[in-house]
Amino acid sequence: MTASATETAAGTGAAPARGSRSRGIRIFKWTLLTPLFSLFFFLMPVFLLQLYFSLHSWTIYLSSWWDADYAGFDLFREVLTESRFYWAFARSFLFAGLSTVGCFIIGFGLALLMYRPFRGHSVFYVLFILPMLTVPIVISYTADMLLFRSGPINDIMSFLAGTEIRFTWLANPNFAIFTIIMLEIWNWTPFAFIIMLAGLSSLPAEPVEAARILGASRLRIFWEIQIPLLRPVIFLALILRFLEAMAEFPKTWGLLQGGPGTSTETIPVYLYIVTWRAFNVSKGAAASYLVMLLMIVIILSAIYVLRREKKALDALYEKPAGGGEA
Amino acid sequence: MKRFVKKWRYPLFRTLMLTAWALLAGFPIFWITSTSFKPDNEWHKWPPVYVSKNATLDNYRMVWPIHQTGSIFVTPDQKGHGVAHESVTANKPWHALKNSLLIALSSTAIAVAFGTLLAYGVSRYRILSDTRMFQLLVLRMIPPIVVAAPLTLYYSVLQLMDTASGLIVVYFITSLPYAVWMTKSFIDEVPREMEQAAEILGASRWQTIWEIIFPLIRSGVVATFLFILILTWSEYLLSFILSKVDVVTLPVQLSKYEGSTEGRVYGHQAALAVGITFPLIIIGIFIRKHLVRGFTFGMVKR
Repeated sequence: MTASATETAAGTGAAPARGSRSRGIRIFKWTLLTPLFSLFFFLMPVFLLQLYFSLHSWTIYLSSWWDADYAGFDLFREVLTESRFYWAFARSFLFAGLSTVGCFIIGFGLALLMYRPFRGHSVFYVLFILPMLTVPIVISYTADMLLFRSGPINDIMSFLAGTEIRFTWLANPNFAIFTIIMLEIWNWTPFAFIIMLAGLSSLPAEPVEAARILGASRLRIFWEIQIPLLRPVIFLALILRFLEAMAEFPKTWGLLQGGPGTSTETIPVYLYIVTWRAFNVSKGAAASYLVMLLMIVIILSAIYVLRREKKALDALYEKPAGGGEA
Repeated sequence: MKRFVKKWRYPLFRTLMLTAWALLAGFPIFWITSTSFKPDNEWHKWPPVYVSKNATLDNYRMVWPIHQTGSIFVTPDQKGHGVAHESVTANKPWHALKNSLLIALSSTAIAVAFGTLLAYGVSRYRILSDTRMFQLLVLRMIPPIVVAAPLTLYYSVLQLMDTASGLIVVYFITSLPYAVWMTKSFIDEVPREMEQAAEILGASRWQTIWEIIFPLIRSGVVATFLFILILTWSEYLLSFILSKVDVVTLPVQLSKYEGSTEGRVYGHQAALAVGITFPLIIIGIFIRKHLVRGFTFGMVKR
């Protein structure tokens, strides 16, 4: 894994006595790396097993998994010709995309209202981070209590509208996915909020001040100075949120289990149903493999962007007094 | 008058908007707390009962029984006498609490311990290049569901299914990236002069870590520990898949009150949910200044 790490020996301090010292450092480095290596070897068989299952036809009803029939790429073909798989993808992207945008807009809005200190600031801050600290599966059951037809949300809406509203939030196949998106937004707006607030409060004051003196309007300062300076933070919030939303399982599963019909079946729910409800382990493995490949492509491109933005972020936090990296 | 309006327009607007969102953010938490005190005839009432006039601790008594054997369990009544009930839905919340504590605390402790050491190596000796550090993030970013099925079989071969150690290992793996990145951001802030001084005075490398670095980053390590504890405590999917009976954790226990023959038992769910959530809320508020650093892998600091 890290062949180059050993070669780049002692770059830290001046070392008059080479020999034993650099050897000591090498041993020290490898000791620190041991857990990572053991982890790597521990996880390796999981990926091999996944490959095995996606190439061999096996379900839980067959006894020994090690002599299952070789199926070649049949399972991949089966998954790829299934429209349900593509629908699950579309839903996952809809879910992750809309919820990311929703979290970001609300979180950024709140952060803009709060980045200048005022009385009661900390009270609002504590209240706003509450949803993020709630256990996801608790949120899904709470949502069930809140949103069922005789629940308090319909009651409050009836009160506000003046007529009785009995909206079906959950059993309506066309709307259920949006209910889940709203839940995700409720849950993770604090995430965007705390990141954007931290970003806004670490912005240097001088450019904004200078622009104001030169007579720029508030809107123009926002678009042409604050937003460009905030770019790394914005990217970070969007990327991390999107990736987490792609993997979201407890809320979608706990609340609706993919239903009504298949209308809230995102990728994780689809994989769960294929593997643990239909016990189609091999098909599940093939589908998982495809999802994993796609996710790795997405994650690697996300990491590419993150690396670039982290450089900008580190520059932002660079303290004039030195310290940290030499 | 005009000046008055101009001065107060923005603060008023701000307070209004912030209050609106605060109500929205707090309402579900209020509702679950209030439901946990409602007697069973108020769970599904229309119009809904917001604050019960007949508030009772019955839900808590049912969910957290004082004594239990098999499906029979004993709860105290108002006068404190034990009353026996039989229920299939009420499994073992105390057992689940014990599991959750054991699994979350030990996996978090292991992840933070190894994470801190790795982070130290990366920060001072560059044992992992930048590329490797970012690749480490893949461990966290890949959706766990894609490896869940082979992991189950692998675990049954290793006889780790439905054991606490099995779950501790997977949680260690999923929380390691957070541990490394977060503690590294704290270690990076420690100036190197002290270590160099310690080295000149003849301290060994481990001594330097333990006696110089660790005391300086202690509060950061505690924050990392509590942050990862929040994530591990609330994890659902892996625990749901890798546990059957023995090591059911609290989030999975909660789902056992759903879809049973008795219909939706909102009160019991709420009482259990309050027990799961409130410790996390307290921890989260306690480390609120470090949450940003945690969620962004130490990339954004306050």
